[in-house]
Amino acid sequence: MIQLKTLVNCIDNSGAAIVECVKVMRMKRHARIGDRIIVVVQKQRNFGPESAGGGGAVSISNKVRRGDIRHAVVVRTVKKYQRADGSVVKFDDNACVLVNKGGDPIGTRFNGVVGSELRDKKWSKILSLAPMHV
Amino acid sequence: MATLRPTHRPLACWKSALRQARIQKHQQRALWGLSTPETSAAPDVPPPPPPVEEARPSSESPASVPPPLPIYIPSAKVAQFHLPGCRTTLPGVVKPAHEMKRMRFVVAPPNPKKTCPDPVKAVEDAQLQLLDPTGARRRLFDKSNIEAAKVGDILLVRFRPGSGQSDQFAGVCINIRRRGVDSAILLRGQLTRVGVEMWVKLFSPNVEGIEVVQRKEKRARRARLYYMRQPKHDAGSVENLVRQYQRRSQALGTGAKGRDGNSHRKKNNKKGRK
Repeated sequence: MIQLKTLVNCIDNSGAAIVECVKVMRMKRHARIGDRIIVVVQKQRNFGPESAGGGGAVSISNKVRRGDIRHAVVVRTVKKYQRADGSVVKFDDNACVLVNKGGDPIGTRFNGVVGSELRDKKWSKILSLAPMHV
Repeated sequence: MATLRPTHRPLACWKSALRQARIQKHQQRALWGLSTPETSAAPDVPPPPPPVEEARPSSESPASVPPPLPIYIPSAKVAQFHLPGCRTTLPGVVKPAHEMKRMRFVVAPPNPKKTCPDPVKAVEDAQLQLLDPTGARRRLFDKSNIEAAKVGDILLVRFRPGSGQSDQFAGVCINIRRRGVDSAILLRGQLTRVGVEMWVKLFSPNVEGIEVVQRKEKRARRARLYYMRQPKHDAGSVENLVRQYQRRSQALGTGAKGRDGNSHRKKNNKKGRK
C-alpha cells in the first residue's frame, strides 16, 4: 500500500537509500507490487567506508542525488497480496527500484528479494537483475 | 371530531352497509341448500321453527318427529362450509357428468436430505481424496497424530517446477489454518535478510511436498505465533538449517524428493529424539 508520502526503501545501487512516494501513476489507489510510482530521493546511500570517511561527501557512482524526482517500481510490500493459486505473500518492508522514464532500471544490481508479480506486470528487466524472487 | 368524521371518510357508511349485505348473502347461501329438502323430502312434517336444525334429520329419514338435537345447533355454520357434502346426499342435486379420470402418480425422487445428508462434507472428502490420495499430508497436520507438524516447527515446502513459483520455501510455521481442503499454513522465513511470510495451501496441486526440517524443542504455548514478527522474537533465517537438513537427508539416502514429511516415519522418529 504505497501512497503519497510513503517512505520506501530503494534496493538498487543507483545511490538512493530511502525515497518518498509523491505520485502513484495511472491509478487512484495505492500502489502494489509492479506498479509505477514517482518518488523523491530523501536519503542517499553511502557506498563503502572510504566514501563515508570523506566528510559526508557521497560517492561519485551515485546516479541520483537527494531531492531528485524519479520514477520507481514497487517490488515488495508489507501489505499481503494473494496469488491466483490461493497463496498469500507479505514482506517485512516496502521496497522499490528506480527506473528511468523508458522503464529501464537506473541501478545495475539489486540487493534483495522481489515479488514475482513483476513478471505479470512485464518488468522482466527488474526480475533478471534481482537475486531472487518469491 | 365526531362531526368531522364523515367528511374525512365519506365511504365509511357505504363500507358498513356493504359488509352487512355480504354477510346476509352468505347466510342466504347457506340456507339455500337446506331449504330445498325441506320442501321435497319432508313435506308432511310440520314446519320446524328453525330451518337450520332441520338439516341433518331430514337427510337421515323422513321421521315424524324431528328431535331438536343440541349438537346440531351450530350446523348452520357447518353447513356453510360443508355445502357440497350436503348437496350430494340431497336429491335433486346433479352429480358431475363425467367420471373422474384416474390420476397418474409420479413417484417422488428420493429425498436428497436422506441420501446425502452433508453434501459439503462429501465434496470436501472427494476433493481431499483427489488432492491427497495417500493421506500423508492429512496425517502430517492431523491433530491426533503425535508426530504431526505443529506451530513453531520449521517446515520446508517444495513447489512443483511448472507452477511459476520459486523452487521451495522454508520458514517457521506460525499459524495452521485447519479448514478441510482449504487448510493452509503460514510460514515465516527470511530471504536476503528480508522477512517474508507466505500462506501455503496444504492440498494445493502446486505443492509437491512438505517436510519438517526441525521441530520446536518445547511445545509452543500459543496457537498463533505472531509475536515472532517482532524483532525481539524473530527466528531469523532458516537457510542454514534447511541446508543441513537437505545434506543429511541426502547422506541418509532417504531421498526426500517426492515424499511428504510424515510418510517416512523412521526418519522423523530419529529427528524427534534429537
